[in-house]
Amino acid sequence: MAAALPAASRARTAAAAVLLLSCCGAALAGGVQDQAEQFFRSGHTNNWAVLVCTSRFWFNYRHVANTLSVYRSVKRLGIPDSHIVLMLADDMACNPRNPKPATVFSHKNMELNVYGDDVEVDYRSYEVTVENFLRVLTGRIPPSTPRSKRLLSDDRSNILIYMTGHGGNGFLKFQDSEEITNVELADAFEQMWQKRRYNELLFIIDTCQGASMYERFYSPNIMALASSQVGEDSLSHQPDLGIGVHLMDRYTFYVLEFLEEIHPASQTNMNDLFQVCPKSLCVSTPGHRTDLFQRDPQNVLITDFFGSVRKVEITTETIALDRDPAGFESKFPEDELATEPLKYAEQLPVAQIIHQKPKQKDWHPPGGFILGLWALIIMVFFKTYGIKHMKHIF
Amino acid sequence: MAAPLVLVVLAAVTVRAALFRSSLAAFIAERVEVVSPLNAWKRVVEGLALLDLGVSPYSGAIFHETPLIIYLFHFLIEYAELVFMVTDVLTAVALYLAIQDFNKVVFKKQKLLIELDKYAPDVAELVQTPMEMHYIPLKVALFYLLNPFSVMSCVAKSTCAINNSVIAFFILATIKGSAFLSAVFLALATYQSLYPLTLFAPALLYLLQRQFIPIKLKSKSFWLYTMQYASLYLCSLVVIICLSFFLLNSWDFIPSVYGFILSVPDLTPNIGLFWYFFAEMFEHFSLFFVCVFQINVFFYTIPLAIKLKEHPVFFMFVQIAIISIFKSYPTVGDVALYMAFLPVWSHLYRFLRNIFILSCVLIFCSFLFPVLWHLWIYAGSANSNFYYAITLTFNIGQILLISDYFYAFLRREYYLTHGLHLTRHDGTEAMLVLK
Repeated sequence: MAAALPAASRARTAAAAVLLLSCCGAALAGGVQDQAEQFFRSGHTNNWAVLVCTSRFWFNYRHVANTLSVYRSVKRLGIPDSHIVLMLADDMACNPRNPKPATVFSHKNMELNVYGDDVEVDYRSYEVTVENFLRVLTGRIPPSTPRSKRLLSDDRSNILIYMTGHGGNGFLKFQDSEEITNVELADAFEQMWQKRRYNELLFIIDTCQGASMYERFYSPNIMALASSQVGEDSLSHQPDLGIGVHLMDRYTFYVLEFLEEIHPASQTNMNDLFQVCPKSLCVSTPGHRTDLFQRDPQNVLITDFFGSVRKVEITTETIALDRDPAGFESKFPEDELATEPLKYAEQLPVAQIIHQKPKQKDWHPPGGFILGLWALIIMVFFKTYGIKHMKHIF
Repeated sequence: MAAPLVLVVLAAVTVRAALFRSSLAAFIAERVEVVSPLNAWKRVVEGLALLDLGVSPYSGAIFHETPLIIYLFHFLIEYAELVFMVTDVLTAVALYLAIQDFNKVVFKKQKLLIELDKYAPDVAELVQTPMEMHYIPLKVALFYLLNPFSVMSCVAKSTCAINNSVIAFFILATIKGSAFLSAVFLALATYQSLYPLTLFAPALLYLLQRQFIPIKLKSKSFWLYTMQYASLYLCSLVVIICLSFFLLNSWDFIPSVYGFILSVPDLTPNIGLFWYFFAEMFEHFSLFFVCVFQINVFFYTIPLAIKLKEHPVFFMFVQIAIISIFKSYPTVGDVALYMAFLPVWSHLYRFLRNIFILSCVLIFCSFLFPVLWHLWIYAGSANSNFYYAITLTFNIGQILLISDYFYAFLRREYYLTHGLHLTRHDGTEAMLVLK
């Protein structure tokens, strides 16, 4: 029995060791669990950006410079060209009035050329229309549209939409020939929501009375920033005397200075972005709207929208994912009962087409009218010329 | 004078027939300067087609002409080109006869005033002689028939030609002195486009003058005649409107015709002043400004009546010009009508101050209209501001032309009674100014 005793004690120590290990494992797993929860803090897996400059002509240089600066920042923070839809009139760099051809500067003294060598404009010149913009957003695009012109977002995409140009109370002017209203924009976003084309949306607008454009939004998960309130104008930053036009707008200029300090790993959140460009610097009062957004802006990182930060962490531990009832409940409304699909033939009123009504008879003026009219004419004739002339006529 | 008139008529008919057969007819028929939503031929055809399909032509905002036009064209639609040529000829002949009679009246009045020593001694060169007045009626007919504006209006088959002819017959009836016919034709003209209502005042003044009734507010005969004429006019208008009810058995035509003229819902560009303002105006202001713009047409009648009560035919000319400038949907056909009267005042030439610049402005603007339209709509390199600038310039040219003639007329009248060489109190030469 000398062998049996050490076996029992070995088994006991082994059991104790396993218990200890499992406790340690559980403790460790608890720490990784926290990390795992942090990992899934935001619900998005990919980032898109739609950057729109709605003006054309040389004197609107600053709008193009605005958009290109945002484009540069967004690319620097990781969003690739394939995920950026850039809509510009693109008539600045090669404009005959540009003293430095093939450049678009955003700082005076021509410090920073935002045009560069690797700008990919998706919608240029006359393609920047309200219709194309709404089609890009809602995805209702003809099948022949190339991939680079589509917004191929899904329900896990965070989309940044930046618009700049000339606007007013409730509308934004596109290329001096048409407008988009805030109601249209709100409806487009609702279409995107119902088609599950976004997870969260950040809408930034730098125009006069920009706050009016986000007043009408009613879809969830939208955060909006504007450069000025209703009744205020957004002002431009500084002119460059060499080029002869204003190079940037104030709000975007200060937003860009803010973004220059952001790098892909920074933890700066949206509340800092709301503080950018106070009234003393911007003259207009920037506004923001977060009531439709479900997360607290404190917890929303700048890089959630402006960058495409890949969430990759290498770990050798196993992580058990709990179904968190608070965070994972379905955000989308229940589908209604699917109705029976109509067959093609039933959509055309064939029976009506075959048995067309017979052609109407031609219209004739009523007899009473003709009689009355000619009686009047004859009365006038005789009143003027007198009955006595009848003898001469007949 | 019949032979030259016939020659002129033949020439005009040839020009119009030639243009009808050419390919320009379709192009001219769609020009917005020549046709407006009120008088486009396309809309008349559409209205008649709707009627054939059993639908009221006034449903939908396509057809804005009166039921009498429906009746007229229901039978004459295949001969539309002939109808419009005949209409133009009738207008010219009516104007010819009217101005012939008017010249006689002017000459008689002038003789009377000379005999009564109402004229200053040194105005012999200002007095009109029969020799120079002999060719004026022919020139009037010529000006109307061969005016490019009226040729284009005829080729486009715009019902403005019919309106012009009714107004011409009204002028003929007034100058001949027949109150009844003048009231009937004025009622017809008002029935078709609302604005000839303002011609009631000059016609009344002329008829009062002809009946030698003094225009004093206290005189009973003045009020009696005015009431007679007004009641003739209103009765004929009411009778015509009631008759139109019986054509389609509905009152639909009233909002479609008069509501359309007054409330200006269609903002297609034309040579008038309304479209641009209302295209860019916010809705809560538009009612106020529609009222302001419409009052502008009717507003000048009373002041002009007070100033020009001795000269009702000149008043009529100025009033027609004001209607064609300030109406809600003017076309070049309306402009052609008042331009036809310019030869009647050719004796004012020496007093006109800006005639060269104004004629240049009007001619250049007429050429620039299609150019800027093309640039705006087809080339896309201009926008509506460019076209509106030309509209504004054209209307300014017209307004200045009318005020220039007004000034010249008043100046001549002043010289006739006060002599050609005016001196101030200290003996230096004085100059008349229009304040």
